Amino acid sequence: MAEATFHAGAHGAAVHAGGEHAQHAPLEYHPGLPLSNGKLIIWLFLSTEIMFFAGLIGTYIVLRFGAPTWPLPREVHLSEPIGAFNTFVLICSSVTVVLGLEAARANKPAAAKLWLLLTFILGSVFLGVKLYEYNAKFSHGIYPWRPHSLVYEKADLNYAAAVRLRLDALDAQLKGEETALKGEEGSAADDVALANLAEKQKVVADLKVQELAAETKAAQDPDITVRHAELEKLADSIMPLPLHHGEEGGLNHEHRWLKLPIRIPGGNMWASTYFLLTGFHAIHVLVGLIVFFMMLFVTLDVTRAGMVENIGLYWHFVDLVWIFLFPLLYLF
Amino acid sequence: MSDHSHAPHATAHAHDDGHHDGIAQYIYVFLALCVLTGASFFTYSSYWPFHDQPKIGWAFMMAVSCTKAMLVILFFMHVKYEANWKYVLTVPAAFMSIFLILALVPDVGLRGHWLSEERELYMAEPRDPAKLQHAESEPSHGDNVEHGSKH
Repeated sequence: MAEATFHAGAHGAAVHAGGEHAQHAPLEYHPGLPLSNGKLIIWLFLSTEIMFFAGLIGTYIVLRFGAPTWPLPREVHLSEPIGAFNTFVLICSSVTVVLGLEAARANKPAAAKLWLLLTFILGSVFLGVKLYEYNAKFSHGIYPWRPHSLVYEKADLNYAAAVRLRLDALDAQLKGEETALKGEEGSAADDVALANLAEKQKVVADLKVQELAAETKAAQDPDITVRHAELEKLADSIMPLPLHHGEEGGLNHEHRWLKLPIRIPGGNMWASTYFLLTGFHAIHVLVGLIVFFMMLFVTLDVTRAGMVENIGLYWHFVDLVWIFLFPLLYLF
Repeated sequence: MSDHSHAPHATAHAHDDGHHDGIAQYIYVFLALCVLTGASFFTYSSYWPFHDQPKIGWAFMMAVSCTKAMLVILFFMHVKYEANWKYVLTVPAAFMSIFLILALVPDVGLRGHWLSEERELYMAEPRDPAKLQHAESEPSHGDNVEHGSKH
């Protein structure tokens, strides 16, 4: 069946693709499309992929522009130059894959393999940079889910209560560690550990006093602006919103172990959409990399040109999605 | 895959859609893509004159992205040289994507236009413009300004 379709299809391509050559093509009935079954399947798959990513990107656009506020890239530790670099890497990998296809069509398996190896390396660089970027978010408590996520939308009483609960939990945890240490035999190392612990306990105790004062004032002061300012001050002391790229400060930065709730207006919706979009894109990159890896063990001569073309089509689509994701996520 | 069994035809097929200039064309497209990426990134630099009107930057970046997408689709994916089946597979999908976005606009995109009291109470507040202006005045800064307030 496939054989018959392709025979007819090759003629069909001659008729369709070059109108001026049409008179040379034999006039015959051809039931199939002028393309191989593999390519047809890839295009059908890409057609569904268009809708898949259009759905994701479309919901991102409506969520983002309907949001009361959206975090600036520096507030969520998003670096525009890194995003641009990754765009460049993916464009390069698209070029290497078409050069690989041309080499396979010219029956140069060694060259084709080299180009695909380069594509594989470039794709891995892209994923590596993506992992580095994810880590920058995770290390600041920006996750798309709780309890890892420390992000709160605004400094209100709900936020203050979360800070208080975290401080209570820390207090209990440190007390537990203290009991465990004291239960053991005394040694020099234990003394250092106990001193460290005492220092941490002091930080937590001081913070508890501050937090309680802020929360009480915020709950009781008759003037709403005073109440608001008090909690803003608390949030700023934990993690101020950076005014420039790479600016770090606040208690969470000084004492990494504190991991207190932070305030990033619009941060939760940002995290959900960012990780969903880039996550699905990264999965697609990963699938492409697995296929490229498998193809490194295949002789890529002219008989496999169709195979190279099909994975190439998929890879270009992955590049295409990133072409839209880069400005939407990093520059908008 | 069926492709393996068509060894002799693969070359013929390559010639069929070989209406382009081969490697040179790929290099031109690559250079164009690099220049266009640079153009998008330019909106981030402090030389971009419309930082106070983000919509101009958004429109510019979307135009650049669509151009880049067309270059990739037409030349890298060889769609320029394919027969008419390409429209059957891409146009309905493209239409569905646009309708999906439009369908979401009233309920999701415009959700900030009719706020319930509860929603307003727990919603994030747009950031303080005074603080932002202070940051804007610093030379090292180059981000877009967020004008997200719907109030």
